[in-house]
Amino acid sequence: MKKTNLLTAATLCIALGFTSCSKDSDCHECHIAFDGPNGEIEVEIGEFCGTALEDVEAPGYSHTIELTVVDGDTVPAGAYSEIHCEEHADH
Amino acid sequence: MKKFLFSSFFMMNIFTLFSQTKGIILDASDAPINEVSIFLQDQKILIYSNEDGEFVTKLDIPNNSYINFYKQGYLSKILKYNSDLDLKIVLDKLHINLDEIGVTESFNILGNNKLSSIEKKSLKDDFSSSSMIENIAQLSGVDAISSGTGIQKLVVRGLSGMRVVTYLNGIKIENQQWANDHGIGFTDLGLYEVELIKGSSALKYGGEAVGGVIYFKDDPFDISEVLSGYIGSKFDNSNFLFGNQIGLKWSKNNFYINLHAQYSLASDYRLPNSKYLFNSRYRNRAIKFSIANRGNKMQNIFRYQYNGDEVGIPAHSHENLENVNIDDITNSSINFSQDFKVTRPTQFINNHLLIYENNYFLNKSKLSFHLGHFINNLKEYEKWTIPAFDMVLSNTQIRTNTRTNLDYFTFNIGAQAGIMKNENNTIERLIPDARTNDLGFYSTLDYERKQFGLSAGLRLDYKQIDSEEQDYDKLFSALSSSAGVYFKQQSHLLRLTYSGAFRAPHFAELFADGIHHGTNRYELGNTDLELEKGYQLDLKYQWSNDHFGLVINPFSHNIFDFISINPTDSLYDNTYKIFDYTQFNKVNLSGFEMNFHFHPHSIHSLHLEQSYSFIKTKNYDDNEVLALTPSNKIKTGIKFELEEYNLGLKFKTVSLYHLYSFAQEEIVDNETVTDAYNVLNIALSFKLFNQLNVVLGVNNLLNEEYTPHLSRVKEVAGGIPNPARSFTINLKYEF
Repeated sequence: MKKTNLLTAATLCIALGFTSCSKDSDCHECHIAFDGPNGEIEVEIGEFCGTALEDVEAPGYSHTIELTVVDGDTVPAGAYSEIHCEEHADH
Repeated sequence: MKKFLFSSFFMMNIFTLFSQTKGIILDASDAPINEVSIFLQDQKILIYSNEDGEFVTKLDIPNNSYINFYKQGYLSKILKYNSDLDLKIVLDKLHINLDEIGVTESFNILGNNKLSSIEKKSLKDDFSSSSMIENIAQLSGVDAISSGTGIQKLVVRGLSGMRVVTYLNGIKIENQQWANDHGIGFTDLGLYEVELIKGSSALKYGGEAVGGVIYFKDDPFDISEVLSGYIGSKFDNSNFLFGNQIGLKWSKNNFYINLHAQYSLASDYRLPNSKYLFNSRYRNRAIKFSIANRGNKMQNIFRYQYNGDEVGIPAHSHENLENVNIDDITNSSINFSQDFKVTRPTQFINNHLLIYENNYFLNKSKLSFHLGHFINNLKEYEKWTIPAFDMVLSNTQIRTNTRTNLDYFTFNIGAQAGIMKNENNTIERLIPDARTNDLGFYSTLDYERKQFGLSAGLRLDYKQIDSEEQDYDKLFSALSSSAGVYFKQQSHLLRLTYSGAFRAPHFAELFADGIHHGTNRYELGNTDLELEKGYQLDLKYQWSNDHFGLVINPFSHNIFDFISINPTDSLYDNTYKIFDYTQFNKVNLSGFEMNFHFHPHSIHSLHLEQSYSFIKTKNYDDNEVLALTPSNKIKTGIKFELEEYNLGLKFKTVSLYHLYSFAQEEIVDNETVTDAYNVLNIALSFKLFNQLNVVLGVNNLLNEEYTPHLSRVKEVAGGIPNPARSFTINLKYEF
C-alpha cells in the first residue's frame, strides 16, 4: 500500500511537471538599440503586449522618437527599426 | 494483421515455455558468489545470481550469445554461450577495477576493446559530477564544450561536432550538432552505459566519424514480474537545480517493459564571485519507454524517447563580446519568482526518437536490424514572438548487421541507409531546406587466438546532398578502412591500430548564410567544400597486476581538407562578426593518454585512478595550432569504500575527483590564453534506509574561478567562469 502511494505521488509529480504552466508573460519592455560612439544606447519605448508586441518585433517595423538624451548621450530624432524587447540582467 | 502479430508473439512464448538456462558462479575457492550481474548482452537482459551463486532463467539463450558476468571486486568475465557446456563460472578476486581505463576485457557494442581504442563508462548512479557530459568528460582524452550548465557537448581528442558521431541505442543522433551551442539532445535518463571510440576506427557505426563514436545504451531489461524501479531527486545549489526522475521495470513471460520520466528545472548559475550568469537557466522534460518481446530465436524491441529542452543562451549581447562588461550580463542575486522563467534568447528543443530493433539468432550468427526515426525541432528565439530560426531536422535510418562466429574468427557484414531532411518553418533562415541520402556497406573481421589478435575492415559510403534553394546536388563517396593487431604476453598487452575515415561536408558547412544568435556571429557556408579525410595511428600498451594497472596510449591523427569555421575581418550589420567555412590542406592532432590505477595491498578499501591526456595540434597551412585545442589535463579519482567499516549509518563510499588543467598557451590569432586551474569535487554516499541511497557532494570545493579553454563563453567579458562551489544532494529510492 505504502509502495502504491509512493508510486502514485511520484507519477503525479512527474505528470504535474510535464503539464505545469510555462506560458511566458505577454508583456515586455522594448527599447531602440542605437549604435552610439561608445557602444549601444538604449532608448526605452515602453511596454508592449500581445499583438502590439508582435508588431513591434516584426520585420519592417520602425518606431519614431524625438531627440532623446540617455545618460548624456544624444540619440537624434527619427524612425528606428532596431528594436529589442529581450530582458537583461537587472538585479 | 493484428491477429498475425498476436499469433507470432503467442508462438514465440510457446517455443520458450519449457526451456530454461541455469548456471552457477563461484570464486576461486569454490564458494558461491551472490548478486553477480549476469548481463545477456545480445538480449539486453540483466539477471542476478542468488545466495547459492546460482541463476536460473526461462530464457533459452541462443548459442554464441555474449554473456557478461560482473560484480564489484571480481574480474569480469565474458563468454560466448554454448548450450552443450555447463555454465559454471569462476570469477577471480580483483583488487583493482579498471573497466573504465580499458584494462579489463569487456563486451562492447562498438567492437573488441583489445583491438580498438574503446572506452566505456557507467552512467548509473554517478554522483561525482554535476551532469552526464561532465561525467563522461572524466575519461582521459575527453573534454566538454559548454555554455554554462545547460548546453554541453563532448570533445574527443580535440574533435567534436560533426566529427564525433553520437548513437543512442543503435540510431545516429542528428540534432544540428554542427554548432557548439547545440547540446547533446538527451539526458542520462534511463541510460546504463556509454562506449566511446577515440578516432575513426568504428566502421560499423562510423561513416563520417572522423573524430570518434559515442554510443549510449539504455538500461537493460529485468526479469521481474513484480514492478521494480526507482525514484530519484537531485538538487544542486549553484543553479538551484531540482531534478526528478522515475524509472519502472516489469516483465512477464517473454514480455519486458522499461519506463522512465524526468523533469528538471534550473535557474541561472552562480559564479565564484557570487554573481549569477543571466539566462543560464534551463528546463528539461523527458520520457522514454522500451518494450521487448523475446522468442526462442528472435527478439523485438520498440523504443520511444521524447526530450524537451528550454535552454537559455547566456552572455548574450549586441556589442563586441570582448567589450562586454560582466556586470551587464550577471545579476547580483537570485530572484526565485523570475529567474527560473524562460526569457530571451532561448533555444526550444524537442526531440523524438523511435527505434525498432530486431535480433534473430542462428547457431553461429546473429542478425540485427534497426529502424529508427529521429525528429529534432530546434527553435531559437531572440525576440519574444518571432523565432530567429525554427528548423525541423528529420532523419530516418535503417541498419542491418550480421555477426558470425567461426572458431577464432568473428565476421560482421552490414549496411546502413538514411534519409535526412532539414526544413525551415521561418522565412529568414540560417541553413536552407536541404536533404541528404546516405548509403553505406561495411565488413569487418576479427581474429583472436591465444595471445594474438587482429582485425581489419572496410566501409564504402555514398552521400548525396541536395538543396533546391541553393541549386546544389552533389554525390560524395568514400572508402574507409581500419586495421588493428594486438599481442598479449602474461599481463602485458600491446596494440596498434590504424584507421582512415572520410566525412562529407554537412549542409550547415555548405549553405549557412545568416545570423546565428547562439554564437553571436554571422555564418557563411562554402559550397566548394570537399570530403575531409582522417587517418589515425593509435598505439596502446597496458600492464596490470593485482594492485597496479597502467595504460599508455600515444596517437597521431592526420586530417586532410579539414573543414573549419574561421572569423573574417568583416562585420554584418555593424554588429556580428562574419565567420566563413574554409578547408585547411592538412592538420595533425597528436598526443598521448596515460592512465594508472593503484590499489595498495595494505588498504583494500582505497582506489586511486589517475589519467593524463596531452594533445598538440598543428595546422600545416600556416604552421599554427588549431583553434579550440583542449588544454592538457590530469584527472584523479580517489574512492574509499566504507562498507566494511562499522560506522553507524550505512556508509558506502567517500570519493574525490580532482581535475588539473594545464594552461593553454598554444592559441590562434582570435583566441586568448587560458590559465591553469584546479577543480575538486567530493562526495559521500550512504544508505539512509535499506532502499534509500543518499549522496551528499560538494562540487568545485575550492571555489576556483576558472573558464575552460573550450567554454563557449570564454571570449565574453574576458571569460565567464564555470559555476562556483556548490552543494549537491542526490536521493534515490529503489523498490
